[in-house]
Amino acid sequence: MSAVIEIAGLRKTFHTLRQGRRIAVDGFDMLVEAGQVHGFLGPNGSGKTTTLRALLGLVRPDAGRMRVLGAESPEHLPDVAGRVGAIVESPQFFANFTAHRTLRLLALAGGVPTARVDEVLEQVGLRDRGDERVKGYSLGMKQRLAVASALLKSPELLILDEPANGLDPAGIREMRDLTRSLAEAGVTVLLSSHILAEIQLICDHVTIVSRGRRVAYGPVEEVLAGFDQHQWRVRVADPEQAGQLLGRAGLSVTVAPDHLVVTGVQDPETISRTLGEQGMWVRELVPLRPDLESVFLELTGDHEHVAVPRQVDGAPPNDGVIDLDVRESREVDA
Amino acid sequence: MNLVRAELERLAARRFVQLMVVLLAAAFAVTVVTTLAGSHRPGPAELSRAQAQAAESVRQMEMTYDRCLRIREGTLPPGENDYLPRDCAQIDPAQIEELPSAADYLSGVFVFAKEAEPLLYFLIAFLTLFGFLVGASYIGADLNSGGVVNLLLWRPRRPLVLAAKLGTLLGGLLGLSVLASAAYLGAFWLIGQASGLVGRTGGDFWPSLAAIWVRGLMLVLLAAALGFAVATLGRHTSAALGTVAAYVVVWELGARLVFQILEVGRPDRYMLSSYLAAWLSGEVRLWDNNACGPGISGYCDGSYTLTWTSGLVVLLGLTGALVAAAFTVFRRRDLI
Repeated sequence: MSAVIEIAGLRKTFHTLRQGRRIAVDGFDMLVEAGQVHGFLGPNGSGKTTTLRALLGLVRPDAGRMRVLGAESPEHLPDVAGRVGAIVESPQFFANFTAHRTLRLLALAGGVPTARVDEVLEQVGLRDRGDERVKGYSLGMKQRLAVASALLKSPELLILDEPANGLDPAGIREMRDLTRSLAEAGVTVLLSSHILAEIQLICDHVTIVSRGRRVAYGPVEEVLAGFDQHQWRVRVADPEQAGQLLGRAGLSVTVAPDHLVVTGVQDPETISRTLGEQGMWVRELVPLRPDLESVFLELTGDHEHVAVPRQVDGAPPNDGVIDLDVRESREVDA
Repeated sequence: MNLVRAELERLAARRFVQLMVVLLAAAFAVTVVTTLAGSHRPGPAELSRAQAQAAESVRQMEMTYDRCLRIREGTLPPGENDYLPRDCAQIDPAQIEELPSAADYLSGVFVFAKEAEPLLYFLIAFLTLFGFLVGASYIGADLNSGGVVNLLLWRPRRPLVLAAKLGTLLGGLLGLSVLASAAYLGAFWLIGQASGLVGRTGGDFWPSLAAIWVRGLMLVLLAAALGFAVATLGRHTSAALGTVAAYVVVWELGARLVFQILEVGRPDRYMLSSYLAAWLSGEVRLWDNNACGPGISGYCDGSYTLTWTSGLVVLLGLTGALVAAAFTVFRRRDLI
């Protein structure tokens, strides 16, 4: 597979009068290969948008090398700009221009047939409202318009920075379907988003950035597997006693009021057999697999927020994507 | 070319531009209507009376000149009310630029030849303001709203994009100014024909008017480029407006006052407004209050002149420097 985006050792420091010197990106590396739907994750201020802006020639990096579709950026970016569609953060449009005119002007400036305007408006679901002024648009509609502007060029590479910003659940689903259909059509997509579940649903590869550095990358499944602690949630009649039994058997156990979590066990039979031999019957035994959010928070040093159990969109409640309230748990010595 | 077409369409579609064009048309219409309402075509009797008054006035001037010559020669004693300049040539009717004409003695009659110059200055003033504001808001709003970023995602060559914007602005403005001038002067010429007098348009009337017009157009373009450059440097339309306001208050008013207190010689030569006036009117004669101080005896001429050449050099130099700075900064700037 050929590399579509290559970033090596990217550095960028901003100097402002108010904040002084701020390192936005600190030796960041990234590789996106053709055909991938690549998620780009990082907390606010981690350097995601700066990286994308540098890649697109909007910010001058202090150091590092970047290539887009094989062309050095920013020097040779104009050679490939016609093949790269991008939205960076929430793009603004002239409020008194209609969506149609906004796109027509971009198409004209970029040498794209203006017939594409109606096509992309259709693609993002704005065809019926294309002749309305942008000032009457909701945030979500503006976001769709931004995506439409990125699609105008029929890009080979689509860079979307927070495309789901302002979209309602139906809009998010439509955006997801659109991204999938583009990926199926062979478009490489780089998707930056805060909606981690969304990234997990759409993306096959991921790069996680924290404080301007890459902290994890690769296929989503592999990244998640790297953080799999082989944890199991066990419900029994007496969690306290079960914890002691399992601890004596050499297992690492965390006891919560109504359940316990056993860590580092490859085969769940070990748990059920240990408890069964002592006459204690397991009511529920569920694998706790890491999701992208827990990995993200783990990597970016924000795990105190892993407190509220939540269900990721589209997943059944007991499929292992539930985080436990660790603050209410206590360790049981083995 | 596509980029310029797109920019031209974007410029024409801007609401601010449309508003300014409407204001221009409204000012134009109001001036035409009030001129039409206040003017009538003079009858033969009214015209001959005015012509007689003008002829009488010229005759009086010739007599005064002749009297001056004779007094200087010593063939006539000076009277109590005689005006005697140092050189009688100063009041020689043959050397006076514009002798009284019938138009000067017609009341309620629009005379094109007499009014064309102030009308043209009014148009230039409006177009200069228009050019500055549109120039500043065109790029200022684009920078502020992210429009430039959108465009750069399509055309990542920054100097080309900025040059296309500036070129489109200047080209569009020039086209509008030429059309507006032609319509404006044409309309008043027609009013002169139909409901007033055209007046004396021979000699150097048209060349002189054309010279003012060309200098005016140049000023309009310089103002637009200046507004564009300052707004680019400040990333916002208000940067241009603020800079002009600050300049007027701090330098034209404040520094002028300080210069007066410190008795600095020829303070007007440090003011842009002097060069602006010199450029627009061909030359400007200024007075230096400190030139004829208490130590000087006899005749002292404290005046000095700024020509259109020095006006052009200063205005072009300033605008050129700011435009160059805007391009340099825009080329290197982080667009965040």
